[in-house]
Amino acid sequence: MNQFFLAILVIGCGGILPLFLWRQFALMKAVGVLAIGGGCLLGLVDAWAKLSSPVSDAIVFSYLGNFSLAFSMDTLSAFFLIVIFGVSLLAAIYSFHYMSNAQKAMRTAAHYLFFSLLVAAMALVVTAANLITFILAWEIMSLSSFFLVIYNYEAAENRKAGYLYFIFSQVGAMFILAAFGIIYAQSGSFAFKEAAALSESAKILVFVLAFIGFGSKAGVFPFHVWLPHAHPAASSHISAVMSGVMIKTGIYGIVRIYALLDWHTVIFGDIVLIAGMLSGVLGVVYALGQHDIKRLLAYHSVENIGIILIGIGIGMIGVAAGKPVMAVLGFSGGLLHVLNHALFKSLLFMGAGMVLHQTGSRAIDRLGGLIKKMRVTGTTFLIGSLAICGLPPFNGFVSEFLVYMGGFNGVALSGSDFALSLLGIISLAIIGGLALACFTKVVGVVFQGEPRSAVARDAEEKGIMMLVPMVVLAAVCIVIGVFPTLFMTMALKAVASAGLGYGRIPMEPFIVMTANITRAAALFFTLLLLVLALRSLLYRAKTVTSSGTWGCGFTQPTVKMQYTGSSYAASILEFFQPAAPLSESHSPIKGRFPTGTHYHSHIHDLAEKQMEPLVVKPVLWLFDKLRWLQHGDIHLYIGYILLAIVLLLFFV
Amino acid sequence: MMKSTIFLVLAVLLAPIYAAWILKVKAFFGGRKGSPLLIHYYTLIKLFKKGSVYSTSTTVIFKLGPVISFCAATMVLMFVPIAGQAPLFSFNGDVILLLYLLGLGRFFTIAAAMDTASPFEGMGAAREAYFPIICEATLFMTLILFYLLSGDLNLAAFFSGGQPMGLWQAAGVPLLFVVIALFIVLLTENSRVPVDDPATHLELTMIHEVMVLDHSGPDFAFIELGSFFKLFFYSTLVTRLVCPFTSGHPAVDAVVFFGCMALVYTAIGVTESVMARYRMDKVPKFVLTSFALVFFATVITLEFVK
Repeated sequence: MNQFFLAILVIGCGGILPLFLWRQFALMKAVGVLAIGGGCLLGLVDAWAKLSSPVSDAIVFSYLGNFSLAFSMDTLSAFFLIVIFGVSLLAAIYSFHYMSNAQKAMRTAAHYLFFSLLVAAMALVVTAANLITFILAWEIMSLSSFFLVIYNYEAAENRKAGYLYFIFSQVGAMFILAAFGIIYAQSGSFAFKEAAALSESAKILVFVLAFIGFGSKAGVFPFHVWLPHAHPAASSHISAVMSGVMIKTGIYGIVRIYALLDWHTVIFGDIVLIAGMLSGVLGVVYALGQHDIKRLLAYHSVENIGIILIGIGIGMIGVAAGKPVMAVLGFSGGLLHVLNHALFKSLLFMGAGMVLHQTGSRAIDRLGGLIKKMRVTGTTFLIGSLAICGLPPFNGFVSEFLVYMGGFNGVALSGSDFALSLLGIISLAIIGGLALACFTKVVGVVFQGEPRSAVARDAEEKGIMMLVPMVVLAAVCIVIGVFPTLFMTMALKAVASAGLGYGRIPMEPFIVMTANITRAAALFFTLLLLVLALRSLLYRAKTVTSSGTWGCGFTQPTVKMQYTGSSYAASILEFFQPAAPLSESHSPIKGRFPTGTHYHSHIHDLAEKQMEPLVVKPVLWLFDKLRWLQHGDIHLYIGYILLAIVLLLFFV
Repeated sequence: MMKSTIFLVLAVLLAPIYAAWILKVKAFFGGRKGSPLLIHYYTLIKLFKKGSVYSTSTTVIFKLGPVISFCAATMVLMFVPIAGQAPLFSFNGDVILLLYLLGLGRFFTIAAAMDTASPFEGMGAAREAYFPIICEATLFMTLILFYLLSGDLNLAAFFSGGQPMGLWQAAGVPLLFVVIALFIVLLTENSRVPVDDPATHLELTMIHEVMVLDHSGPDFAFIELGSFFKLFFYSTLVTRLVCPFTSGHPAVDAVVFFGCMALVYTAIGVTESVMARYRMDKVPKFVLTSFALVFFATVITLEFVK
């Protein structure tokens, strides 16, 4: 584990050094980027080696007396470490040109501190080997990301987003703590491995509590409310890390707790699968209704977490039903989607960050035609969009294909397993169609057509350090889509430590599937090249002219007449009406020569809408009733503390 | 392999003629003589000879759109068992790949339409993105039923070999629902009446036609040819369900298959002749019917047949 801790140390330096160098803005950024990036690279190499030739690696520090800090690295940790270090490395590079405001040098330095803390904490979360270490790393991760969310704290909405995120992450941590408390109470030990000895009823309770806690971090419906607020508030490379990687620690938590409890009941699978379907479908429906590009991408994280959970849920059901193929397909599909989503989502957030950086606008309907000025951004964003829609030959398709195959294996079961597998497949199909609608909207309205505003017209591409990570990510998206075998092997190795109880998993039947995908992709590319050659042959010596778009006889078109994102999504949203209530405000057009009018639409997130009456109001009411406890008298406060200690001494 | 290649070439060559057959049927109902069966060939040749006019708003995506949607449709044909012959390519789970490939084609068709900045094309694109969502659910529901019946997940297993899916086998009765559902999906995915009217002249009411308004020359020919292939693919599915018979002799199989195909295309033509298109907000309900039908078929199969 030495190289791992060296990596953490270097990343930490990348946080601390900028604090002393903030007077030299460029130098400070360079040091921060180099140290964080270098540390990530070290960790990436180490994790890759650990995944390729798995050796059980553990280390214990006993500085804290009874509460020893223990770390270990198995293939599951190594898999997540690859995702964490890989995306963070690129995000760090991206930040060099993105953090361009020299007026806020001190704040940028602080940002690097919290960024490095976040990366280090995420790495520690997935390597933690006992309850104390885990919750400690988890809290550092939550708090450092909280400070990154409120980076632009002057804006009231960002403060609100930070506040919401803080509450959600702390309440989530409470649930995790409660789950851990039960483990400790029953086993009397902080060690992870003792959890397997719990009674069955305790295991269910632990799993449900942990699922709520981890789910609120991962953005599982209905615990996702913080996510669409926090992601737009943070800087774009931070959104990329948070959405691409940090929320995945929630997935890691769910898989890890499943492995630790070592109880292959179908109940866990049912819970995870149902939550996955809800998040998947509702996430993409809400995404479709968004007008803010980063908020839209944030809702897509909810959707993709849904897909991951569908995969893992199918896997858990497969384990319980004694169908190893289904189980391995579900788990490996889910885990591979963790990697894939990290890649294309961070790519998309970086693309959106470039748009925001150059135009200063996140409003989809104010942009347009950007691909002409921003070629690299536009092209990579298009690749990311194709990948997130799960279309071949891109990486999103590979993981969805595996999950589908797992689901079809589940259809052969009976009873609730059959019904849930069926629903899982149908949800995946609907999610795929909706994601396609959503990303044709984003690409079509933001990057294609004509600019809808002056800022979009004058936009241009700047910052090579921002472009390089996007190109790298787009390339990896294609490589995984065409040659998935290596990455499938990685996912299979990670699945081996997910506690399915199979011992060694044979690679062959799964490699056959990925090889088929490679063959199909090769066929497609051959066909594409042939047709392109044919096309250029057909256009040889032909007159090719350009002219305005056919306006159906109308001779005075303006850019305002273009279809907007809102109108594009309107009819689909209407179909999902009860689940996605839409409120519109529109002043009617009056008279022969109507003056200005406006249209505003907002799609309500059911969870957010119901949170107010169902959670916030009762909690406020309760605490209002308890206000007399808080009287401001310091003597009585000391009395409370004494009383608490005495009670604890006597009764615990 | 040889036979499969011949059948594939035959399918590619016949696809435009079958599409012209629909026009013949419609002309018959209209009391007209109608255009010749080779009309689409004439059009394609004319288009291939022409140059193109590109809108100043467009980018390279606009040029990629026709090519990619054409490639997707062609590749799908390579995986379809034509006349009960084993297809050129096949693997476990290929149906999923094919449906997603058609999705890729759709993505680029929509993107090409959005590239023109035309409000009408945007409108068509929004509809093109909407209705197939429900179709996909229907198709995956169908796959689940087929998987239950055959234990396989590739087109070759469903429609060729010893035990193809068909109306006339023991488990076949619920498949009548599937046939109707697939026919609805066929009408929707290929922009036929009552979902879309390929012969309409008002841009506001078009779906597919309006999206390709700005394409011209060879690009437009690729779009046309791609849509003939796509229609052929869906018709093959319906045909093989209605007529799953194979004699073992390829020539006899070919005659039976292509004859039945003509019947399916006639059914499309008759539908177009006797129905008006639905109001836009009625279309989702129409498409959703197909999902309900397959769902019932699955329930019936599970409860009574198996």
